[in-house]
Amino acid sequence: MKGIRVRLKGLAKHFGRVVALRTLDLDVRAGEMVAFLGPSGCGKTTTLLMIAGIYQPTAGEIYFGERRVEHLHPRDRDVGMVFQSYALYPHLTIFDNIAFPLTLKKIAPAEVARRVRQIADLLGIAHTLDRRPGQVSGGQQQRAALARALVKEPQVLLLDEPLSNLDAQIRVQARGEIRRLQQEIGVTSILVTHDQSEALAMADRVAVFSTGELQQFAPPDELYRRPANTFVARFVGYPPMNLLEGRYEPGAFVLDDLRIPVPPGHPAGRGWLGFRPEDATLDGDVPGRVTVAEALGRENLVTLRIGPAEVKVLVPQGRRPAPGTPARLGYRREHVHFFDASGRRVGA
Amino acid sequence: MPLLPPRWRLLLVAIAALSLPILSGLAWLLLTGWFDQVHGLVPTGRLGPDNWRFLWEAVGGRPSVWIPLRNSLIFSGVVATVVVLASSMAAYAISRLSFPGRAAYLGLVLVLHAFPAVSLIIAIFFILRRLGLFDTLTGVILVKASLELPLGIWLMKGFFDYLSWEMEMAALVDGVSRWTLFWRIALPMVRPGLLALGTFALLSAWGEFILPFTLIVSNQNWLMSAYLQTFLGEAFTDFGMVAAVGLFYAVPVIVLFLLGQRYLLNIYGGGVKG
Amino acid sequence: MRRYAAPVIFLLPATCLIVAFFLAPVVTTLYLSLTDISVITFQNPQWVGMGNYATLLRDQFIGRIVLNTARYVVLTLLFNVGMGLVLALLSSSVHQRWGDQLRAVWLLPRILPPVVYVLIWQGLAREAPYGLIGTITGSSTSWITAAPWAVIVLANGLVGASFGMLIFTSAIRAIPADLFYASAVDGATTLQTVRRVVLPLLRWPIMFVTAYQTLSLLTSFEYILLLTDGGPGFYTTTVWSLHAYKLALSQYFGNVEFGLGAAMAAVLVVIGIVVSVAYLRIFNFRALVAEPKIEVN
Repeated sequence: MKGIRVRLKGLAKHFGRVVALRTLDLDVRAGEMVAFLGPSGCGKTTTLLMIAGIYQPTAGEIYFGERRVEHLHPRDRDVGMVFQSYALYPHLTIFDNIAFPLTLKKIAPAEVARRVRQIADLLGIAHTLDRRPGQVSGGQQQRAALARALVKEPQVLLLDEPLSNLDAQIRVQARGEIRRLQQEIGVTSILVTHDQSEALAMADRVAVFSTGELQQFAPPDELYRRPANTFVARFVGYPPMNLLEGRYEPGAFVLDDLRIPVPPGHPAGRGWLGFRPEDATLDGDVPGRVTVAEALGRENLVTLRIGPAEVKVLVPQGRRPAPGTPARLGYRREHVHFFDASGRRVGA
Repeated sequence: MPLLPPRWRLLLVAIAALSLPILSGLAWLLLTGWFDQVHGLVPTGRLGPDNWRFLWEAVGGRPSVWIPLRNSLIFSGVVATVVVLASSMAAYAISRLSFPGRAAYLGLVLVLHAFPAVSLIIAIFFILRRLGLFDTLTGVILVKASLELPLGIWLMKGFFDYLSWEMEMAALVDGVSRWTLFWRIALPMVRPGLLALGTFALLSAWGEFILPFTLIVSNQNWLMSAYLQTFLGEAFTDFGMVAAVGLFYAVPVIVLFLLGQRYLLNIYGGGVKG
Repeated sequence: MRRYAAPVIFLLPATCLIVAFFLAPVVTTLYLSLTDISVITFQNPQWVGMGNYATLLRDQFIGRIVLNTARYVVLTLLFNVGMGLVLALLSSSVHQRWGDQLRAVWLLPRILPPVVYVLIWQGLAREAPYGLIGTITGSSTSWITAAPWAVIVLANGLVGASFGMLIFTSAIRAIPADLFYASAVDGATTLQTVRRVVLPLLRWPIMFVTAYQTLSLLTSFEYILLLTDGGPGFYTTTVWSLHAYKLALSQYFGNVEFGLGAAMAAVLVVIGIVVSVAYLRIFNFRALVAEPKIEVN
């Protein structure tokens, strides 16, 4: 089926004096699923609503394929959208909800019924078609909303926090289903979420937003392995990456009177040193003291105080040092992250 | 029941006593309409079906009661329809559409809502003459509907404000225009508001007196209120028959009130006329 | 512009009606009040400036009419607000079922067509032995002629009290139940609770009802017109709005003076505009106009 390339060029949105989105350039490949990830108020939903045509951009261009669409009414854009609240029409049955976009296109009733049944079968909600949204479960409502978005075979599928109203168990299952469906249909999709595990699990590429600006746009593993700045480093991955602010001298990172040896390739002067808890060990040579040790199940998370900073270390199940015991911090040098004073990544 | 004092049974007596004047008024209307003589609230004569002779004969140079009845039905029905439609459309625009002057429009509606429209009756008389609508049902319908609009717009805006924005976004993405969205999604979802406003406008138009009294002269265009009023001014009133006319005129109101009471309590509490 | 086609279409019917029957009448009232238009000069009215207003000031009956108006507004207002409070307190003090019944009964006078309502008053007020009131007071004339002011205030009051009743009831319902429990624990009697807790919290609703009803009483004349028609006798119960109406539109006077009537109405119109704009200020107007979350129409 059809998928289309979506390009945003210099897209910006201001609400009065408030800048919701600064300037965004983004290129989504045909058939790709991209996640917009970030804390609330970062501009991700604003961007999505501009793509849908609900908001008018303050500046910039939106292309679906070669067609410029930012001046088009939502009905002329051929997008499907799933909302956080599902936004099903409460006075219509599930069937009529799903059929709604088709009835607007003056498609013959028999054809409408055929297509509604087909998509309902695909999503496993065929038995709920006669009921009203209030009479079916949250998971079924979510599928109905997805069916309504897909039934008109849109060029672009927009998903605004589609899973956040579901129970944790169903959510993980629904994640996989949406991803499988999207790949089957091949529709270009944009998913807005504040949940990093959702973004990393579902998307081909993830765009991380903060305070109205795009921070990084990359595949999930790259986001994890090579965060572009300290915001992404802190935001992606759990437990979050350890980030120490200090000064680089040749061969070492200096934190007050502590000297942490670092591999080559580091910046000079003030900057940040980052390493993930799973890349840290208690067998190194930086002196510190255990303050907390929490059991996470498969592993234990140990918090160390080194100099003025606190550092988290993931250790295997067997080791759980008591608070107050001295420990020596180490880290895997091949997985170290350097950031300059402005927080930007330095080196590979 | 946080404010329940110990001797609440006494309060029930007080409540009954306070309601007595209203209830005895209704009792008077019922009894006088059906008996040919009533002293106080005690029927002293026989059952008097003769009181209802106005149903089949024209009384004292007036047209048959069925003419004002028909006019009143048309008047109330059309007024209620116009009020509900025009108010909902305007309220939807004020509540949901983005356009310059939106706040000013709402301000105007609020000022007009508090503004006592009766004080305009002299000017309205002139304007209807100028429009050639004086002494026509159409003219009074338009005037009555207009005077109910500020309340209607204000009330319906309150209902539209509670609609989910995501639902409207979904509908736009599904491919509707704002016009289709209004009719197919927004209106069905504010049904309680439409019913409340519709019932209110029906009742208000059904009882309206000053406007038809002032703006209609020919008795072929009379409404029920004008028809009944002509009996009140008579030197020797036949109270039995007038009460029967009054009952005949008031029954639809009482039925509608019992049906729509729940909605109406809200709307009258929302501030209508003093 | 195509962008604003939707709001224009949606607002069109309401705007036409409002312009024709609200805004145009305001302007017309003010205009007529500055001319000598009457039955005689209907085709060719002359501009008289403030002449009508000067005539009003010189009118020997104007003082009486002003006094009547003040008496009508003040007495009815006292009844409306006082009775509204009593009804709201009583109906929220007993079980909800009884409270609802009480409120429904008191809404009836408001919902009954005014002409039917006045008919009932005329019937009840008849002389003995026919009328209930006449029988109780032993009066040999209709109570409407014997005590016109009492009838006018009561008839208006039974209709008007329900407005305060409904507003005060919802205000009382909005008081958190904890406050009642707390004052009960503090050992307050029911009356003390009403005086110390409920009434102070009802200050704003009482002010609102008072302000709102003052304005509408000032301009309303429907029940007076039907009950006494300004009589009995000479101007006994004629209030400002009724006099304006009769000057301009009454079919009984030979010389109908539209201009003079319009001048009296214009005074009410100006008061009405000033007071309703003041409401808008007191209301937190800005809070009412949140920006729409959809930018396309």
